[in-house]
Amino acid sequence: MIPQNFEYSAPATLQEALQLISGGECKVMAGGMSLIPLMKLRLAAPEHVVDLGRVPGLNSISESGGVVCIGATATHHDIESSPVIRGRVPLLAEAASHIGDVQVRNRGTLGGSIAHADPAADYPASLLALEAKVRLVSANSDRTVEAADFFLDPFTTAVESGEIVLEVLVPIEEPREGYRYEKVPHPASGFAVVGVAARIKKAGGKTTLARIGVTGTGPRAFRALAAEKLLESGADVATAAAAVAEGQETNADLYASAEYRRHLTRVWAARALTLALSRAS
Amino acid sequence: MKVSGSYLITVAQQRAYELLQDPVVLGKAMPGCDTLERVGEHEYRMKMKMVMASISGLFDGKVRIADLQPHSSFRLIVEGSGKIGFMKGDGLLHLIPAEGGTNVQYEGNVEVGGTIAAVGQRLLDTTARMMIKRFFEKLSAEAAVSATSSPAAKI
Amino acid sequence: MATITSKPETLVGKRIRRREDPRLITGTATYLDDLKLPGMHHACVVRSPHAAARIKNINVKPALELPGVVAVFTGADVKEVGPVPCAAGLPGLRVPHHHILAQDRVYLVGHPVAVVVATDRYIAADAADLVEVDYQELPAVADPEKALAPGAPAVHPQWPDNVAFTFHQEGGDTAKAFQDAEVVVKQRITSQRLIPTAMETRGVVADWKAGEKSMTLWSSTQVPHLLRTLLAGMLGMPENRLRVITPEVGGAFGSKLNVYAEEALMAFISMRIGKPVKWVESRRENFLCTIHGRGHVDYFELAAMRDGTILGMKLKLIQDLGAFLQLLTPAIPTLSVLMMPGLYKFKNISADIVGAFTNCTPTDAYRGAGRPEATHGIERMVDILAAELKMDPAQIRLKNFVDNDAFPFVTATGLAYDSGNYALPLNTALAEVDYASLRREQQQARQQGKLMGVGISAYGEICAIGPSPATPAGGWESATVKIEPSGKVTVLTGTSPHGQGEETTFAQITADELGVDIDDVLVIHGDTSIVQYGIGTFGSRNTAIGGTALYYALQELKTKIKKFGAVLLDVDEVTLVGGVCVDEKSGRSVSFNQVAAAAYRALKLPPNTEPGLVATHFWEPPNFTFPFGAHIVVTDVDRETGQVSVRRYVAVDDCGKIINPLIVAGQVHGGVAQGLGQALWEQAVYADNGQLLSGELTDYALPRAHMMPWIESSHTITPSPVNPLGVKGVGEAGTIGCSPAVVNSVVDALSPLGVRHIDMPLTPEKIWKLIQEGRA
Repeated sequence: MIPQNFEYSAPATLQEALQLISGGECKVMAGGMSLIPLMKLRLAAPEHVVDLGRVPGLNSISESGGVVCIGATATHHDIESSPVIRGRVPLLAEAASHIGDVQVRNRGTLGGSIAHADPAADYPASLLALEAKVRLVSANSDRTVEAADFFLDPFTTAVESGEIVLEVLVPIEEPREGYRYEKVPHPASGFAVVGVAARIKKAGGKTTLARIGVTGTGPRAFRALAAEKLLESGADVATAAAAVAEGQETNADLYASAEYRRHLTRVWAARALTLALSRAS
Repeated sequence: MKVSGSYLITVAQQRAYELLQDPVVLGKAMPGCDTLERVGEHEYRMKMKMVMASISGLFDGKVRIADLQPHSSFRLIVEGSGKIGFMKGDGLLHLIPAEGGTNVQYEGNVEVGGTIAAVGQRLLDTTARMMIKRFFEKLSAEAAVSATSSPAAKI
Repeated sequence: MATITSKPETLVGKRIRRREDPRLITGTATYLDDLKLPGMHHACVVRSPHAAARIKNINVKPALELPGVVAVFTGADVKEVGPVPCAAGLPGLRVPHHHILAQDRVYLVGHPVAVVVATDRYIAADAADLVEVDYQELPAVADPEKALAPGAPAVHPQWPDNVAFTFHQEGGDTAKAFQDAEVVVKQRITSQRLIPTAMETRGVVADWKAGEKSMTLWSSTQVPHLLRTLLAGMLGMPENRLRVITPEVGGAFGSKLNVYAEEALMAFISMRIGKPVKWVESRRENFLCTIHGRGHVDYFELAAMRDGTILGMKLKLIQDLGAFLQLLTPAIPTLSVLMMPGLYKFKNISADIVGAFTNCTPTDAYRGAGRPEATHGIERMVDILAAELKMDPAQIRLKNFVDNDAFPFVTATGLAYDSGNYALPLNTALAEVDYASLRREQQQARQQGKLMGVGISAYGEICAIGPSPATPAGGWESATVKIEPSGKVTVLTGTSPHGQGEETTFAQITADELGVDIDDVLVIHGDTSIVQYGIGTFGSRNTAIGGTALYYALQELKTKIKKFGAVLLDVDEVTLVGGVCVDEKSGRSVSFNQVAAAAYRALKLPPNTEPGLVATHFWEPPNFTFPFGAHIVVTDVDRETGQVSVRRYVAVDDCGKIINPLIVAGQVHGGVAQGLGQALWEQAVYADNGQLLSGELTDYALPRAHMMPWIESSHTITPSPVNPLGVKGVGEAGTIGCSPAVVNSVVDALSPLGVRHIDMPLTPEKIWKLIQEGRA
């Protein structure tokens, strides 16, 4: 539980931070909830840690032009308790409230979590269902990628060397839409064995829009496009839920085999969709 | 942990067989492989740097090819150990001519030990599959390159 | 002379807040890792990543070259130290020589192969990474039944069958019981390996003073005196020159009832480098190198009549010992055999134990130590029998309980149950849950396709361990009470509490007996230079044995106080009321403080009486104590996912007289939490190659506060006749009563699907699969 020596920088401005990391060989840290345990286990041994925690304004949460902007270092607690997020993108607040425990939610950040890209993290399901975008900046670039193009593989994202996650841009949910994040937490780690985020819009009793993001089930979070289409073309929840994990590679571990995970995905997708439907008006 | 699957490589069976045993190609395809140095008949010493997100580790290992059945099958044994643990993969590869190239079917066993086994259990299966996928993707890319240039020119 | 002030009420039996808690919850207590000594060095142990391997070569040079590293030791350096002791003796027991560092071979993942000593812990950890060990891997075996199968890899090459011992015990006439039986039920039942996971890992600081030729060793242990004796032997040093101190111990649950390689290793290092040295176990090391618990595969057979009368029981017990025998490793399954009849009166048992070596962490005492396994077995078997006979599980228990007039009841295994009223807690619990209406509700739930279960366990346990002949190192306990000249009272107990609350309960007993204010009593433990020899804390023994030793020391002192009181009042006899010596005839009195001062001033001594007010008592118990109780658990199983939720948890425990209900409640809650952990979540999982896959808290599922049900805890009180306090012990009751009640409840829920037994932990996937099979 003793990490290797490392150099530590806590830049006071974004420019300084981007300069520091432009060289490559360093690890960016936000809340440290994933990085520090790995360093203590010596599974990670970065020579240089750049802590974004003191960059002012990087944790701001604001709304403009139909989009909620969440700074990378906003903590899970900030997100679950923010009036803007609770009011405008309540699905994300609901997802944040399921992460880890109180201590982790007080330290851990949105940017840190998505950049780490644990295949069982909670946020990706909601960000996919919300069709969020991630803004990435480096010393000489500034680009925005769709959530769907951000999560590539386990622990692998679209973030390039020298880049950091600056903010996450989430289109606001319409007040009349229904949403739900359901999760089966691992009894030890709290990670999602399966996590399903659902959004539903209804008009005239019909589902006009369905968005389903799934985490934990496969090597990366995914959107259940086939299931969304089924719902939008009038299929019932059970039929759609059965299609959620179809064709997806499925994880297996000591707690849940691939077969059981697929089953859980179906069950919890159905439960999330049912609740989202009941909330939609 | 058992692993199995198959991957289509877009070259003919014999070429696929050669590629899979070519140390230069193997060195490029093995995820994280820094150096691959011949130490005997079908036996190589390998240095790897595995990087996955924040996790990184240096491994010293061996690659061995055995039970050769040209050009239809062989065993590939990969072993590596480092400060964060060790891993051992032992797989039988079958090369079956298929439409558009060669279908490589693999079946084997992966064992891990040390810290990575003890704390990474949740991710072992996913990671092993990802590594295998990357291996075949690289191999495919090499196959594509080799199809357009002569092997001699590469070595 | 003072006026009489009698203390209005006694403290024993009162919910008094734990006096040790303020320092513990404000971060002002001193744990091992808080210790800092001048010149202290730090050690880091290099451990094997392999479960079985030959050590071909160790290159320590790269580690030694790192600035700040002062020494690296390997097996060759410590060949003469040790071995790590096993105190349990069984006929024919094979005890592998357990070196404190591996010699030419490693036997389990985590086996220490070298130790690096450096000026700070960061350098030590870096240097440990630089030690190059060349291993030749060997085949390993991680499962006890596989280890016993022909052709299995030999854990110790000299014993190719992997059998450490076999042990047979029988009572009555089991063959006849099974002949006479109208029904026999059989079941294989496992009690999985568990990792004790104390909040504080182990740690050692050793400080050798060469000039004084003496060593002070701080260790997070449950048994400071036993550790001193055994460690002195391992090091070949005089016991009186070794001082063992236990600072605050952050939990143990039996895992620190041991002598570990690192304790001797740190002592050795300090002697070699002439400096103090500290080692603190990481959580990874704790999971690999501190003992595990349970690890049973049990084959039970129960013989009965059709009316539910149990005639006899057979057991084949396979104990997963791990690679080495720690202090009590082979003794633990023998405790299971002793308690296998549970609370029932049948007199015919036959048991065979096979102790199997595996390339895993040694098993040893973990909360309950052998009794949870036994209780789980008998309580599962009784439910299986009830199901077979279509009898109500409560009724079958009530029918077979030992009768109230049968105490002391001698069991088929040779124990003498001290006192009991076994139907009382069960009937109390049944009334509390309104059993009849609960069963009606269950019927309705089943009609609606819901899976609801009601599970009962009626447990008995063996506590106050124990009479000396039944223990490997003495079973008595000691207490010294010193009344200081100012009237303040110091209690030195040979027990070593680490969460059990004796700083409070012993102060309650002392305050009541002497009639002093509880704040005037200080309880000291865990320093072999201050406290007279003691045995330590385990087996729910502190209050029953240590408290009794204290009680008798207090009686001696009271006699002496009265003698001084009489002298001071110049009468023949006084009575001691609320700490005040009173001459009943004249009504004159002398206060406690006056007596204390006079005893030390010694101007006027009673006849044949020495100055001072100090008494020491070593108490040897005549028997164990046998607490009992009944737990009822109501569960709901999610038919779609297999997820179990505990709707109600009712615990009615009888631990004899209660000194402090608040502390007893804490023990019940904590015990139930660990019982639920075993029933629902926890398991140490090894891969076939001996790698511990549940090697960290990310995979090993300990119960968390939010996972706990509300525990409805109450008590019946049947005093023990074994000790004058009437107490029995409660440290392990919750754990022992819990797991069979939970499993019985879930099996009951699934019984319409034809499910008869499920092994722990009851993970959702396991249950989901049973539901799938039941449907098919």
